[in-house]
Amino acid sequence: MGSLSWRQFTAILRKDIVMELRTREMLTSMGLYAILTMVVYQIALVEAGEGLDVRLVMPGLVWVAFIFMSMLGLNRSFVHEKDQGCLEALLLSPIDRPVIFLSKFTGNLLFLLVVEVLTLPVFAFLFLQGRAGFGGPLWMLALVLVGASIGISGIGTLLATISVNTTGKDIMLAVLFVPLQYPLLRAAVGATFAAVIGGPDAMASFWTWMGWIGGFDIIMVLAAFGLYEFVIEA
Amino acid sequence: MKRGYLAEVMLALGAVITTATFLLTFFWAPPSVYPDGRVDFAQKIFYFHVPVAEASFLVFFFTAYYGVRFLMTKRKEYDVKARIATEVTLFFVLLTMATGILWTRVEWNVWWQWEPRLTTYFIMTLLVIGYFVLRNSVDDEERRATYAAAFGILAFIDAPISFFITRVVQSTHPVVFKSGGLEPPMLATFIVGQIGMLMLGYAFYQLRLKEEELKERLEALKIGLGG
Repeated sequence: MGSLSWRQFTAILRKDIVMELRTREMLTSMGLYAILTMVVYQIALVEAGEGLDVRLVMPGLVWVAFIFMSMLGLNRSFVHEKDQGCLEALLLSPIDRPVIFLSKFTGNLLFLLVVEVLTLPVFAFLFLQGRAGFGGPLWMLALVLVGASIGISGIGTLLATISVNTTGKDIMLAVLFVPLQYPLLRAAVGATFAAVIGGPDAMASFWTWMGWIGGFDIIMVLAAFGLYEFVIEA
Repeated sequence: MKRGYLAEVMLALGAVITTATFLLTFFWAPPSVYPDGRVDFAQKIFYFHVPVAEASFLVFFFTAYYGVRFLMTKRKEYDVKARIATEVTLFFVLLTMATGILWTRVEWNVWWQWEPRLTTYFIMTLLVIGYFVLRNSVDDEERRATYAAAFGILAFIDAPISFFITRVVQSTHPVVFKSGGLEPPMLATFIVGQIGMLMLGYAFYQLRLKEEELKERLEALKIGLGG
């Protein structure tokens, strides 16, 4: 049972990765979207001039880019399944519903992390050159990225499954996704700020926010996991 | 259909009690004063704003509760109950927002401030509105009920998280019951207002439910008559 579930899990995950490697559709569209967001940021910040310390707003800007980028990817990941009838096939096959959730969740998490890791240096290159460097060590930033992306993919996988079956898919995902993610985003921006700016209290505030991210991840991924079976069969 | 007239009685009682609360507020409860001795007239809205806000949280609980019941049984009545509970929540949420904004205008000199309590309540408002946006964009009845139940449960879990997360940040919203409490007449006025508001909440919910049931019977009759 355990090994069978594991094989089903890796089979679905491998299918998603292979398809992505062949079409490169999600990674290119998410990456391009992130770059375009940065162009928009440049416009947004242009009148503020050189006096603005971009590092102060950088955590917020980065997470705005990531949240919209992730919605794009989440939508893609289920539009394919639906258009090509893959979701029905998955449901017909004798696979445990939780396994479907876990493999889709892992795939979404993987793609999200890849794009985040690729675009963060671009952001630093475009906006942070000539500024003081990162206040904290890089592992802090890595921890925030992984922690927050788990929550984003967990709820996102459930909500994308819902929104793909509604009229106005993309808008629907945003309407449900953004308010539900508020606590996670707030904590992610707080933790990123502590990791980037550093300072004497940075460690304490970093761990407080990481605690919030961890708690949110556990509660929300469990809730999404429990609800998924009902949602996918509806 | 055998609920009797409890809902109607509650509606009448609730109306009388909330009206009485207005009278108590202005003629009995002593005015609150600033440290410098000036009278804080805007504080009077507290006797309306807080009962409405607390009613909104309580009714929202039933969205999640009936959501769980629906997912467990797949019975349509629980979906109707969850939807009506969310309708009543929306009503209370909008009243809370309206009264809160009036108060912040007087007290803080701005209509809106991204202050933790206000921010998180705004998020809850968006979740409640999102619930109806979701319902309206799914055609299949059972699918709509399942999605709404799932989202209602998630939203109810999310509301307290987002409420408490901002406690990490300093808030300027008053926390009356932590900061020394109220004088007895003030507390009594508040409790009376709260009871009246909860009665109204119960009555709105039950009466809307009755209306839905009547609608359904009417539809069934129409179909029965070949219409």
